[in-house]
Amino acid sequence: MQPDDQQPANEHPPPDATPPREDQTTRQSAPPRRLYRSRGNRVIGGVAGGLAEYFGIDPIIPRLAFVGLVFAGGAGVLLYVAALLLVPDEADGAAAAPVTPRRTAMIAGVVVLFAAAAILFNGSWWAGGGAVPWILGLGLLGVAAWWISTGQSAAGSGAEVARRIGIGLALVALCVLLAAAAFWASAAGGGAVVAAIVVAAGLAMVAASFAGGARWLILPALAVALPAAFVAAAGIDVHGGMGERTYRPAAAAQVRDRYELGMGQLVVDLRHAALPPGDHRMSLRLGAGDAVVVVPDDVCVASTAKVGAGEVQLFDRHEGGVDLDFDERPIVAPSRTRLLVDADLGVGTLQFRHDWPAHPGPGWWDNWGDPTGSNAACRSLA
Amino acid sequence: MRPADVPTLVAGLAVAALGALLLADDLGGLDLRFGLLAPACLAAVGAILLASGLSRRP
Repeated sequence: MQPDDQQPANEHPPPDATPPREDQTTRQSAPPRRLYRSRGNRVIGGVAGGLAEYFGIDPIIPRLAFVGLVFAGGAGVLLYVAALLLVPDEADGAAAAPVTPRRTAMIAGVVVLFAAAAILFNGSWWAGGGAVPWILGLGLLGVAAWWISTGQSAAGSGAEVARRIGIGLALVALCVLLAAAAFWASAAGGGAVVAAIVVAAGLAMVAASFAGGARWLILPALAVALPAAFVAAAGIDVHGGMGERTYRPAAAAQVRDRYELGMGQLVVDLRHAALPPGDHRMSLRLGAGDAVVVVPDDVCVASTAKVGAGEVQLFDRHEGGVDLDFDERPIVAPSRTRLLVDADLGVGTLQFRHDWPAHPGPGWWDNWGDPTGSNAACRSLA
Repeated sequence: MRPADVPTLVAGLAVAALGALLLADDLGGLDLRFGLLAPACLAAVGAILLASGLSRRP
């Protein structure tokens, strides 16, 4: 903090002093106070310390205010992060925009407007359902994108901040498009090509780092690499197509060995298949979505399932998480019917159940989401 | 020699390493699952953010 920052802003001259001429006043007036993130009074990012130094108060007051606002729908965290990104560090004071009364009024106005919106939304900044959280989130996203891509704070005049946020958001939009393309290309079998592009982008960035840097490449490179990594880890494959597919075989001979779908909902309803006693093997492949197997009450179900991320619901047994290896192989008498399902699911839910609506209407998932009943056919016959 | 821009260098190495993992998975040399890939991605993003935060601004 500069020494003259400690001077009160509205200090009056002594009564006997000669009033300076107007041009002297202009030349000799102290520079406006500036708001920094404090270096000497820092616990996390120096935001509370900087506010305390700016207003000449004990730093514990803004700290307590931030902590208190954390319980007001998370507003404290949001405001702190915003200040962390927008308020310059004390060490970079030379490049900081001065806090003029006009700018202070603008900041105060924005804060009051957000506070009013927060009250309207029951005190929650996150769950209000209105535009405020989205606008605020997008603004922060733009600021973060600008910071990562340029290494510079987005602080400045109002127009400059808006311009930088706009550039940051444009970069985010480009990254979203790249991410969607990388996701689809990886899931459609182009994983090797996408991986090669990621390696090439990484090596290009290494080379560019010795030629002045190319930070703007960081976000696009991550936008390609991370979705491709997600597809690889989940094992998503969209070769089977997309949409909703329902199979209702009317006889055991119509039951396929393999059912496959890329993305969407896959339903195999075996209630009318009249499976004869003995073991019946079936495999399911689904890239992303929900797979439902409906069986009659007298059929015992055994299943091994590999799920990248999601849940397996075998009647009343539920298991979920990532890298899930589900295994339930009950033993039954040979004279009974047992269905052995080998499933491979990238992301989503695999259900085994006894009931299913003939014609799912609006809101059907609310009523038919979790399977009921049990694998009683196995238990009673074991 | 011109000093390297550390955030770009770290990001480049992290992205190249991620790409190598993906390539190994696609060519069958490795079975990538979330248990390995999630910490790898988090480490890459964390290293990039750390390098960006610690480096001098241009």
